[in-house]
Amino acid sequence: MSDEKPYRRLETQALLQQIAFRHGLEAMNASEEGNLAWVTSGFPVEIPFAMNVFPTYPEQAGAIIGAQKIGPEVCGYAEDMGYTQELCSYAMVSIGSTDRPDDVPMGSLPTPQALLACNNICGTVLKWYDGISQMTGAPVYLLDTPPLEGDQTPHHREYVRSGVERLVEFLSTTFQTSLEEERFREVSELSSKAIHLWTSALKECQKSPSPLNCADRFLTMAPVVSSRGTEHCVEFYEALLEEVQDRAKQGIGAVREEKVRLLWDNIPPWFALRFFNKLAAKGVVFPADTYTHAWSGAVEGTDTRSILDAIVDIYSNVYLNKGLDAKVDKMCQLIKDFDLDAFVMFSVRSCKRYSLGQYVSKEIVTERTGIPGVVIEGDMVDSRLFNEAQIETRIEALLEMVT
Amino acid sequence: MTSGEVSEQSERLLKQLSESGQRLIGYFYPHIPLELLMAHDFMPVLVWADSTVSGAYEGSLQTFACSFARNIFSQRVRDQLSVLSGFIFPGNTCDSLQNVGDIWRVRFPNDIFFRLTYPAGGAGRAAVKFLAEELRILSKGIELKLGTGFSREELRRSADFVGRFRWAVQFIYAARLINPDVVSYSELAKAVRGFLSVPSLDSLATAEALLSKVQKDMDAQGHTDSVEKLSASLLERKIETPITPEETDSPRIVVLGGMVEPTDIAQLMESTPGGSDSAIVFDMLSFGFKTVFTDPLSLDGDPFEEMARATLKAHLEPTQEGLQKRLDFLKGMLSNLSIDGVIVCEQSFCDPDQFEAPSLENSVTDSGIPALRLPMDPEMSDKSRLSLRVQSFLETLASG
Ligand code: SF4
Ligand code: SF4
Repeated sequence: MSDEKPYRRLETQALLQQIAFRHGLEAMNASEEGNLAWVTSGFPVEIPFAMNVFPTYPEQAGAIIGAQKIGPEVCGYAEDMGYTQELCSYAMVSIGSTDRPDDVPMGSLPTPQALLACNNICGTVLKWYDGISQMTGAPVYLLDTPPLEGDQTPHHREYVRSGVERLVEFLSTTFQTSLEEERFREVSELSSKAIHLWTSALKECQKSPSPLNCADRFLTMAPVVSSRGTEHCVEFYEALLEEVQDRAKQGIGAVREEKVRLLWDNIPPWFALRFFNKLAAKGVVFPADTYTHAWSGAVEGTDTRSILDAIVDIYSNVYLNKGLDAKVDKMCQLIKDFDLDAFVMFSVRSCKRYSLGQYVSKEIVTERTGIPGVVIEGDMVDSRLFNEAQIETRIEALLEMVT
Repeated sequence: MTSGEVSEQSERLLKQLSESGQRLIGYFYPHIPLELLMAHDFMPVLVWADSTVSGAYEGSLQTFACSFARNIFSQRVRDQLSVLSGFIFPGNTCDSLQNVGDIWRVRFPNDIFFRLTYPAGGAGRAAVKFLAEELRILSKGIELKLGTGFSREELRRSADFVGRFRWAVQFIYAARLINPDVVSYSELAKAVRGFLSVPSLDSLATAEALLSKVQKDMDAQGHTDSVEKLSASLLERKIETPITPEETDSPRIVVLGGMVEPTDIAQLMESTPGGSDSAIVFDMLSFGFKTVFTDPLSLDGDPFEEMARATLKAHLEPTQEGLQKRLDFLKGMLSNLSIDGVIVCEQSFCDPDQFEAPSLENSVTDSGIPALRLPMDPEMSDKSRLSLRVQSFLETLASG
């Protein structure tokens, strides 16, 4: 039956559920033992992992709520508390589910003992964690990584470095733990191994047909976000890379009949991943996207000092912490490397840092690469803002231009 | 006078100044050391949202950019800011201004653009060092792109000039807490706006004339000492001693919020049936208390470090770490300043305001004081509804 579908399901996906289950259990245990930290997706988790503080990600929980199509309802719980619908829906469902865990099928994330925010993805994370801190009593630690204008300057590096050092102190006193070099090296090696495997899998999509589609990557990126620094994360990506390389070698595409190759920009609408499958039926594949390519810097070093330096460098330079020029450069590079025909920019109402600027970057990217693009509107969790019919019409118009 | 009228007046003034050879530089985020820009022989001009402007951003910005950012962008598209030689955008304050700055650079490539990045973390010494370096870079940038160097002599003069303004309005802010009828909130807000829009000898004179009147009245009422003490505690953000305010007919209301326009709030209160702007005894707004209560600039150490220290010591914005500190300060105010009600303003699509509003509201109501949430935009597009809500809030306070 599944063979008749226009897209091919990854075998490795089955492992994902096991990893998610394991992660959930570990988070629950850590919370019970008083060792759980909620972290933002751009946080240097290598540090808490190495200090035996278990990190878990509310953004991922938000994506699951989105995928289960209960986003509007859970956002509504936060609205009842006085938060406006205009705010980031990851934050909204996180606040909503923390307030009413019994009304959310998968409950809320286990109670944190600390909230670790790094603002290298946006300014929202601090405000969101402040709100959660008011509800749970867990203290917030902000690792401040001011957005970069061009290259990282020495004073920026020094400032972030002092923030990283204070983070180690904060974790030491909050959790009565310490950062041991051997363990730190081990965790960072595992983390960078996972990232290398992941980026190699992404690179395979430069081939035609692309062995992975957008939705495949959105789903399989979960462990690199949540568990980099662990053995099982490395094992997962070894399996994924093997499958992807195998597909590439045999010329098996994620989409059965690849005709058009597009770039996706921004977070996906988690409640409408089938949207990519519908397009697959028309031979449309997305071999690259700016979202999953965000996890590309590997933390490498030989001792505590050099690993901390690498962390300062990598986590300051993440995609969303750079200006519009860097975003445009990245998109143009992906278009070139992955031989893409057009691009789709998802204007995500929740995420100002990712989305504001898309109108101008669309013009520049087209100017530089000569390929057309389209901006479609919606949200990643709040399906009330997603007009599927209108979006389909816009994509149709784009496809007409390239086919 | 509405904010639109105040804008027109400032615009006229700025034009005259520019024609007479005065060089003007625009900024958007109020926590900037004015003294630095003056030390480069520039007049720093705070760019306000203009309530009469709408639209004109659509080809560049989505509607979910905050309404303040959309408004200033529209002003630029409509060429209303041409008297300014350059623009200073803040970095690391909020996502809207961060990204609008980038868009601005693409859309208006000939504008002279600077970015001053602020630390968001309360990291003490590290944050001061970071901001000091940013200020040094800004200073070099101004010299390079606009051709005027940094003068220590000018810095000294401007420290005195800005210090006089701040001292005057700090005194008036404190005096109004003791007797809000001494001068209307609207007059105070206009004096602040006048100076931040055009920090000239004239606008300083206006603020100081208001101060003289207030000082005289406070002296006559025997309040001078308490006003001075209160002003000092506000500057230190430690309100630990209760005050005994003069009896007035109106309830005593504090207005909280971010980059909303104080003169618009004053006007809204005045135009609401049953309202009077003397009911606003205090604001905790970015373009009011939060900017005005900045420490005087010390000239003892490295000037950039001193400027950074003074800037970061001002009342924290919600874009920075420190919610609990803000809530503690608010609690101190509520329990010691005889406050009857609080209005929490929220700029439309402003993440910092909107995220913090529920915590502020809860903190106020936990103290047994009624709170009103007031979502708004710079165009006051729903003024009659806002007025109705304020009216019913005033009725609640009256019946309580
Ligand atoms: S605002 Fe954007 S980057 Fe920040 S948490 Fe929300 S979706 Fe993520
Ligand atoms: S109103 Fe809010 S979102 Fe807009 S510029 Fe100011 S702080 Fe940023």
